[in-house]
Amino acid sequence: MHSIQSRAADKGWGLKMSDDVLLDVKNLQVTFRLGKQERFTALKGVSYSVPRNSVVALVGESGSGKSVSAMAIMGLLPRANTEISNDSQLIFNGVDLLKESEGELRDRCGKEISMIFQEPMSSLNPVYKVGEQIVEAICLHKPMSKLAARKRAIELLDEVGIPQPELKIDSYPHELSGGQQQRVMIAMAICCEPKLLIADEPTTALDVTIQKQIVELLMKLRQTHGMSILFITHDLELVREIADQVVVMHNGVIKELGEASAVFDHPKDPYTKALLACRPTLDSRPIRLPVVDDFLQGREGELPKGERARGVLPTDPIVLEVKGLRKSFTAKRGFFQKEEIVAVKDVSFKLARGKTVGIVGESGSGKTTLGKTLIRLHSCQGGEVLFDGKNLMALSQKEFQPYKRRLQIIFQNPYASLNPRFTIGDILLEPMRVHSILDSDKDRTEHAMALLKRVGLAESAFFKYPHEFSGGQRQRISIARCLTMKPEVMICDESVSALDVSVQAQVLNLLQELQDEYGMSYLFISHDLSVVKYISDEVLVMNRGEMVEFANSDELYHSPKHPYTQKLLAAIPGRGNH
Amino acid sequence: MIPTLIGVVLLVFFLFKYFGGDPAAVLAGKQLTADKIAAIRAQLGLDQPVIVQLLIFVKQILTFDFGRSWSTNEVVSNMLVNRGKVSLTVMAQVWFLDAIISVLLAVIAAYLKGSLSERLITGICTAAMSISLLLYVVIGQYFLGFKWALFPVMGWSESFWVNVTRYSPLPVLLMLAVSIAPSLRLYRTFLIEELNQDYVRTARAKGAGDHRVMLVHVLRNAAIPIVTNIAMAIPGLFVGSFVIEQVFSIPGLGREVVLAVDRSDFPVIKAITVSLAMMTMLANLGVDLLYKWLDPRVQLK
Amino acid sequence: MSMNGTNTRSASFWIQAWKRLLADPVARICGCILAIYLVVALLSATGLIAKGWNDEVGVSYANPVFAPNEPNPEGDTSLIREDASVTDDETKAIDPLAPKYEEIAKLERTNADKVTVLQRLLPLGGDKTGRDVLAKTIKAGQISIAIGLAASFIAVFIGVVLGAFSGYFGGKVNDALEWVYNVFTSVPYILLVLAFSAVLGKGVGTVILVLGMTGWTGTYRLIRSEYIKHRDRDYVQAANAIGASHLRMMFLHILPNVSHLILIQLSQEVISFIKAEVVLSFLGFGVPVDLISWGIMISDVRSELVIGKWWQLASCATAMSVFVVAFSFFTDSLRDALDPKSSRR
Repeated sequence: MHSIQSRAADKGWGLKMSDDVLLDVKNLQVTFRLGKQERFTALKGVSYSVPRNSVVALVGESGSGKSVSAMAIMGLLPRANTEISNDSQLIFNGVDLLKESEGELRDRCGKEISMIFQEPMSSLNPVYKVGEQIVEAICLHKPMSKLAARKRAIELLDEVGIPQPELKIDSYPHELSGGQQQRVMIAMAICCEPKLLIADEPTTALDVTIQKQIVELLMKLRQTHGMSILFITHDLELVREIADQVVVMHNGVIKELGEASAVFDHPKDPYTKALLACRPTLDSRPIRLPVVDDFLQGREGELPKGERARGVLPTDPIVLEVKGLRKSFTAKRGFFQKEEIVAVKDVSFKLARGKTVGIVGESGSGKTTLGKTLIRLHSCQGGEVLFDGKNLMALSQKEFQPYKRRLQIIFQNPYASLNPRFTIGDILLEPMRVHSILDSDKDRTEHAMALLKRVGLAESAFFKYPHEFSGGQRQRISIARCLTMKPEVMICDESVSALDVSVQAQVLNLLQELQDEYGMSYLFISHDLSVVKYISDEVLVMNRGEMVEFANSDELYHSPKHPYTQKLLAAIPGRGNH
Repeated sequence: MIPTLIGVVLLVFFLFKYFGGDPAAVLAGKQLTADKIAAIRAQLGLDQPVIVQLLIFVKQILTFDFGRSWSTNEVVSNMLVNRGKVSLTVMAQVWFLDAIISVLLAVIAAYLKGSLSERLITGICTAAMSISLLLYVVIGQYFLGFKWALFPVMGWSESFWVNVTRYSPLPVLLMLAVSIAPSLRLYRTFLIEELNQDYVRTARAKGAGDHRVMLVHVLRNAAIPIVTNIAMAIPGLFVGSFVIEQVFSIPGLGREVVLAVDRSDFPVIKAITVSLAMMTMLANLGVDLLYKWLDPRVQLK
Repeated sequence: MSMNGTNTRSASFWIQAWKRLLADPVARICGCILAIYLVVALLSATGLIAKGWNDEVGVSYANPVFAPNEPNPEGDTSLIREDASVTDDETKAIDPLAPKYEEIAKLERTNADKVTVLQRLLPLGGDKTGRDVLAKTIKAGQISIAIGLAASFIAVFIGVVLGAFSGYFGGKVNDALEWVYNVFTSVPYILLVLAFSAVLGKGVGTVILVLGMTGWTGTYRLIRSEYIKHRDRDYVQAANAIGASHLRMMFLHILPNVSHLILIQLSQEVISFIKAEVVLSFLGFGVPVDLISWGIMISDVRSELVIGKWWQLASCATAMSVFVVAFSFFTDSLRDALDPKSSRR
């Protein structure tokens, strides 16, 4: 300890250092070499500090460089093609991490600074038991016998809330749930009592209820172990709940930095303002969501005022009615036995014309399966789907063909849902060709061009390939593809979940405009309760394949009846602040 | 597994039944008389209906009694065992050395990932594996065996030790020259694939050094496909290399196959094909069990 | 991203891959080498060059121009004509040329008047019967390359069609095709080839057919796994939702997304089939002896080596190795250009 301090004095001489700063990031500039000539500067001179015993949140959208700065602290950036500028400094406890040798850095990592990651499943080594992995982390830094380390590992597992730690210590990672895996990661991270824990989107891959538990655990551990947490996330509401200080990043630059309460209550930078405003919240439902450009161009005052009214009346005409739908998969067990796994059981609801039904649920709830079954991308094992007086499930493949154009779907991953070898033109013309919409390709091209314009893209997009577009633009193309068929029902399967908050708002606005314009009905599937609240007239809650609750959205969010719905709503970050 | 075996039996049976010409004619050789052909046909059961012939073949497989060779009159099953042993003597050495050397080199190549020397290694490998085995053998035998007399040019003896120390080193050396390059390249990609996994980042974040990451974390995971690959080569060990055995006059199964095909000695070909298919299936089963042992994620059905 | 109004189709995947390929110096060099081989092979195929590969143009083992002073006792004696030999009945029964005796006799009569001046020096030397090694190498190259290309087209075609059906439909189709695959792979490859050639006889066509019919398994596996992967991708699901038929999804939507792998596979198979042809011919199950291929040349030269005549081996080994090595490097570059994410490097 003494030697570190004296070295700290050496290196920190002349620097303005306050005792309660644990980590000082100064003018961090990171450039990646992509090719012979190509360079990409991920961080353009970033400075912030992490005080002792505090939670600092790094917030930003994808490409903001928030993870890069954490990786730089841990020395995890690929050495071969990363350049860190000479002016950059990472002063941790008085020592500049960037001037440390490889060995010194390795000694420090896992001991004084540790890190947890977004995907707990892939972050754990699949072939070693979780106990072995924790023991490894302990023994790398502490002279301890394997047996003593194992005892310590059991204590740690107990501390992070793994039930039956003596038993679970001998499990392999795949035998644990996602939440438990992340707990193991946390146990491994805190095993040497680090002073700084870097959490890189630690809850993004987890369900909302699990997210809440993990965040609570991290906050408890921060208190008991007296460490600081650098929390990296895109989720502002979560930050509002936990952070002492906030650093807002955008394209490798810090936009705003300060005490959490100050940033949230009185944001100064237009980008921060926009980020805070464009995310749908539970307590308001503007006619149109504000988007980033509104703020950057100072047009936030021109937004249409007032709230949008939602809900369905009993008199509204019904376009799609689902009765007792059931979907199951058969899995082979042994040679002859088969096991039936029910993904969706006994789901019934009605979708009114021009309205939106939101379907929410955690992963594995069967919400996506339900959507795909409705348009027969999956077969169904019971129940009816009434559309235009016909039971769609009972039609032959040939009879169903004309209905395909009337029921369409937009998928989650904008990168996978467009054929990479087709031009946007091919993508838009294909459905019209398949269904013989319009008479000639010339007319179809004209129509496609018009639709591109309608969804907010230039006509030149017609000749380009999907990879030339951003995620939000690709989602617009997917929407345009559906519009070529003028569907009556559109299923949006997590269609905005993969998008950044600012882009999400734009796509949500587009969907709403199109609904107003064409009178389409939406089935909006999402795990994001705030987004569903914003866009839906009615909400269906699903849990483990079962329909838990179905009600008008205001009613459901205001007074949830089912305990599961209540639990789900209580886990939404930022709910307590409203 | 069983259906596959049935498939192989049917394939071999019908291949020879309908495309192989009249075995009696082959057997009778130069002295072709109608009587003789009829006699031979009766002796081989060829006058029986197809289904009976198929059953005879199945019975041969089940009892491991494939009758006698048409050309040498040797008992086929004995032949399989004797020739197989010879092939194994050479191939087991190749298999073992290849596995050790290529894994070792692959680990080194993975360490050097991205550097000039790594590109050089892969380049040499590509060149080495492209050139035909035949050239290695012909040129190697000429220089190492004939011209410089470092090894015997060819030959085989009755004694296992003489074979291992005197006759097999040159064939083994030449085969390694061909086999290491592709294995090395393959294992290297396995290792590099693992190096890109998230758990490697975790290990580094824990404070594990380069060697620990490579040897404890990466190699253990890459071992799954590597060991599978090595195990799948086992059935091939019994047949040996056709070219090597031919050129070095090693009386193994590979050379036997070539001779048998040359002489249209169908019982021998059928026997070798079917028994190797069985061996392959056993190896597959072994690999499944190995997988279960190596990869905790795999559950046997 | 520029959104200017130029209505030109932007660079497709293939154009980009082509640019990447051209940017790679290894690909450029190897591509040139391959082009030269192909041109020579085409010229040879059309009879413009190497037409007389089978003619006796030099003395036995004529020296190559780069080694004119090697002693050549065989060549000196080869100028002395032998008398016609008498063949007995027994030899006739086993001699594969027996049916051609009359033809040979006729040729002998017509050529009797012609006087050929036998060369003592040939560009790359001569073989035992005084044939020009250069012409032989070219002709052999033409046949070996043709076999490699034709066989790989057949193999890859079979592999792609079966793999596409198996991967796309899954279920019973998959079970059936997997069974066929297992049957084919449980017999060691070269044994399968020999078994097939044992029953199909000899000839260039047979070699192509045998290699093609036994070599599809690798492509099948690759394409099958790709189809399984793509089948569940959102873009295929979207096509399904639009109402595209199965064949449309298989061949219009998925195939272009795996076509680059097919191309890589194709060039890989060419290499492996050329090597397989060499081994087959060497073992005596490939190209018939009255034709020529690289494999036959290598099997011929083993006896020459013992008496110190190395030039035929040198020229055919060099020709073959340069081609195959260049092709391998080209395939690697092709893979880098077509599939930049793959982890070869």
